[in-house]
Amino acid sequence: MSSATAGGIRTQTETRPKKAPCDHSLMPPCQVACPLHMDIREYVDLTAQGRIMEALQVIRDGNPFPSICAHVCTHPCEDACRRGQVDAPIAIRAVKRFAVEFGGDRMIRPEAETSHEQKVAVVGSGPAGLACAYYLRKLGYPVTIFEAHSELGGMLRVGIPQYRLPREVLDTEIHRLTSMGVEIRTNARVVSIDLLLEMGYRAVFLTIGAHQGLKMGIEGEDSPGVIDGATFLREVNLGLKPSLGEKVAVVGGGNVAIDAARTAVRLGVKQVKVLYRRSRAEMPANEEEVSQAEEEGIAMVFLAAPTRVRRRDGHLEVTCIRMELGEPDAGGRRQPVPVPGSEFQERLDALITAIGQAPQAPGSFGVRLGRGSTIQVDPVTMTTNRAGVFAGGDAVTGPATVVEALAAGRRAATRISDYLQHRYPLPEKEALDSLAGDLRPETVEAIRKIGRFEWETAPAEARAQDFAPIDLVYDWQAAISEARRCLRCGMGAEILAQDRCATCLTCLRVCPYHVPQLDQAGSVQIPVDQCQACGVCVVECPARAIVLRKPHDRRHIDRELDHIVQTAVQSNTKPLVIGFCCQYGLFGTGSLAGLWRKAAGGISIVPVLCTARVEADHMLRAFEAGAEGVFIAGCGVQCARENTDFWVQQRIAKVRRTLAQLQLEPERLQFFTTTAGGNGDMGQRLEAFAERIGTLYLASVLIQEVQK
Amino acid sequence: MIVAEQKKLDEILRMVAPYERVLILGCGTCVTVCGAGGEHEVSYLHNALKVAQRKSGNGTHALSEYTLKRQCDPEFLDMLAGRVEDVDAVLSLACGIGVQAVSERFRQLPVLPGVNTSFMGMPKEWGIWDERCAACGDCRLAETGGICPITRCTKGILNGPCAGTKSGKCEASREMDCAWVQIYQRLEGLRQLDSMRRYYPPRNFRVIPRPRRIVAKSTAGGNDGQVAA
Ligand SMILES: Cc1cc2nc3c(=O)[nH]c(=O)nc-3n(C[C@H](O)[C@H](O)[C@H](O)COP(=O)(O)OP(=O)(O)OC[C@H]3O[C@@H](n4cnc5c(N)ncnc54)[C@H](O)[C@@H]3O)c2cc1C
Ligand code: SF4
Ligand code: SF4
Ligand code: SF4
Repeated sequence: MSSATAGGIRTQTETRPKKAPCDHSLMPPCQVACPLHMDIREYVDLTAQGRIMEALQVIRDGNPFPSICAHVCTHPCEDACRRGQVDAPIAIRAVKRFAVEFGGDRMIRPEAETSHEQKVAVVGSGPAGLACAYYLRKLGYPVTIFEAHSELGGMLRVGIPQYRLPREVLDTEIHRLTSMGVEIRTNARVVSIDLLLEMGYRAVFLTIGAHQGLKMGIEGEDSPGVIDGATFLREVNLGLKPSLGEKVAVVGGGNVAIDAARTAVRLGVKQVKVLYRRSRAEMPANEEEVSQAEEEGIAMVFLAAPTRVRRRDGHLEVTCIRMELGEPDAGGRRQPVPVPGSEFQERLDALITAIGQAPQAPGSFGVRLGRGSTIQVDPVTMTTNRAGVFAGGDAVTGPATVVEALAAGRRAATRISDYLQHRYPLPEKEALDSLAGDLRPETVEAIRKIGRFEWETAPAEARAQDFAPIDLVYDWQAAISEARRCLRCGMGAEILAQDRCATCLTCLRVCPYHVPQLDQAGSVQIPVDQCQACGVCVVECPARAIVLRKPHDRRHIDRELDHIVQTAVQSNTKPLVIGFCCQYGLFGTGSLAGLWRKAAGGISIVPVLCTARVEADHMLRAFEAGAEGVFIAGCGVQCARENTDFWVQQRIAKVRRTLAQLQLEPERLQFFTTTAGGNGDMGQRLEAFAERIGTLYLASVLIQEVQK
Repeated sequence: MIVAEQKKLDEILRMVAPYERVLILGCGTCVTVCGAGGEHEVSYLHNALKVAQRKSGNGTHALSEYTLKRQCDPEFLDMLAGRVEDVDAVLSLACGIGVQAVSERFRQLPVLPGVNTSFMGMPKEWGIWDERCAACGDCRLAETGGICPITRCTKGILNGPCAGTKSGKCEASREMDCAWVQIYQRLEGLRQLDSMRRYYPPRNFRVIPRPRRIVAKSTAGGNDGQVAA
């Protein structure tokens, strides 16, 4: 296997994105935080330009089952997003959700060829197992998935409730896998690894999850009417309708507890309570889901825990005790301490315990277990104590997240392939350096504040009725507006070579974010962790010493301009009008996108990623290429960056002075921007401009004729 | 630093008209800093000349561009050797010093000035430069509170202010600060107002012996180790 790509996905030893030559960008915090290291900055940027299908391609390159993540990912990326230091993090998951929902299955190309003979068995079909099978198939191995349940998906199917992950979504993603030629054995609980090896499997990947509910260790815990959360959810998800009665309490503060409580509501239980022994601040459950649960009428009882359960007259008598928070433990979490004499009684019909799960590897597997019955593996090779037997996912980590399981599955595929090809497994290489460091207060101050664009959620009363999906998706405009908020961390400007810098300090003076600095030696530095990649200094530097860190950004406008000019020359368009037009927001995509198509013939658009990057030189070159009129179209007040219009106006003024000196009408160069309310009368203004240019052109032709 | 301003395009066009192959030569030092003749401006001018050619329809010039780190030092000029062989003229965007240096080094080559060397000064803010020094050769800033009356007083008088000062402004322009009022205020702050009370005899700048030369090196003595003063 070469280290390049197989079937379009990244394979081999490095699972992090490959570094393009001359790419000096750093990995942004969102990507570092994502266990799959998805190229978030890239797909968010593509979304902001309305290039949704390309965004979807980037998403699919980095994630085998993106629509699953788009629904249920715990989005550690958002927690790390640096926009959070300014106002609120980018709603990365919602942007992804929009992209996958918009693109649907159109980008799916599930073919995979078998190029190896060694068969691999995957035990368990949770996200870890599915991901491993997917990547092993892509690498060309024959793969069989063994699943104890009747359907594939693991916790995705039997844990996570349908209102958060609609089953059609899961089925579509699983269908992709089966159509890649993965052999599926459901209702097949593996009890012996030896048997698998005897059957000819050369490697085994154990991803049996963590399904065994933990016990509270209190009296009466095994009474009828007490059920553990994971089991309860499994029953509901498998189509059973456990009858719970009217009053139910759920014990626990994690996502499973909240899911169980909300599921109970949807089953028609009148009164649902969640008992949690710490306070709201310590709750591990997702903040947003806790408030949604409250909206659905679920009561949160903090600092309380059951101490005894008794069954009496068909009811449960549950004794609870109040807690207070004591000293933080080794992990920094404050420990709950019972308050003596604070016992109280709850009369319930059912008690659901959701205080955690543990893996349950049969002893017959012969794999070494560690803390909390997790399977012990080598962190680099992912091997267990048995040769050819690998493990990953919740079974190794204890209950974790879907995205961590996916990452483990992907890594395992590489490791298993290394093993089967007798390759020494290389430690994961980081393709790009990570961006570290917080934004300085001055930088934060200067960044335009644009709050998060919220998506709609179905009203609480409606959603508590059934298991219909509750998150509604962004519409086009909102998704694009949200994506534009991204700060493009780590892809900003750098001084190409200090030697070129004349230390003129222009960059210090023009940067809207006060990023460039003089160091003690008197050299100019552009701290990569502060730069917002607006490109103003790149254009203004009189020594041309500054470039953007991403190679693609460097000559983007030149390339596009050359292309437009070539096309125009070929088609002999007259009079030629060239517009440098921002690709973000409304222009790239929204109501203004169609404007150019409708506009009078002969208008050629050079797409630019923010008009702040258009140089006076570019405008001149457009004239030089034969344009009779040139315009710049930007987002005006809607621009997500600072001072863009000011700089465009400076450059336009300069070029107009030059035009005047050449006896060309300065009005041949125009600047159009949207207004606060939308595009204003942009269409008419553009049309009027094109008409005026037409008149000027005719006049000049006439004069030439006369001169002849 | 030296501050210059690019010449108007029509003047440049007239200058280059007789020459077919023209090298536009930038300078990476002072004129880069003041935005008149660095790499950025070289390329802008290059494009502007091309637009001009296109418009006039007789595009006969072959233009090329290059920017040296500094045009006023012979060693840097050596780097031009291969580049000026096939050109008919150099359009230098350096200050007058650079233009002369290039001309001196390549004697067969016409060297045309692309900028007007304006003054010695500093930026007020991005895009605005102010004159500060006239290179008079006899600096008196110690007595004038660090403000040069020769450059900053319209009349360049050494014993100001004159009768034309009004509310701190100069009679020549309401916009302009009277340098001598500023000098007074600065000296007051420094408690050195007595330097205002002295009389400075007028100086005749016309008698400055031009061109001036500064000799810092000494004529070294013979083997006996003597060094001439
Ligand atoms: C209620 C609930 C809600 C959750 N919500 C979220 C969420 O919103 N976001 C998030 O990121 N994570 C969430 N999680 C966690 C997430 O689902 C798990 O971390 C993830 O599914 C773990 O994947 P896995 O592949 O390791 O194991 P699992 O998904 O647990 O899959 C293990 C599979 O192995 C099978 N299996 C076990 N033993 C055998 C055997 N001997 N032979 C054959 N098959 C076997 C099981 O039947 C199961 O299908 C939630 C978990 C629960 C329980
Ligand atoms: S602002 Fe953009 S690049 Fe920066 S961390 Fe957030 S999503 Fe990633
Ligand atoms: S603008 Fe360019 S030349 Fe001036 S200090 Fe910054 S990097 Fe150096
Ligand atoms: S001007 Fe823009 S690109 Fe340059 S340092 Fe400042 S934020 Fe970065």
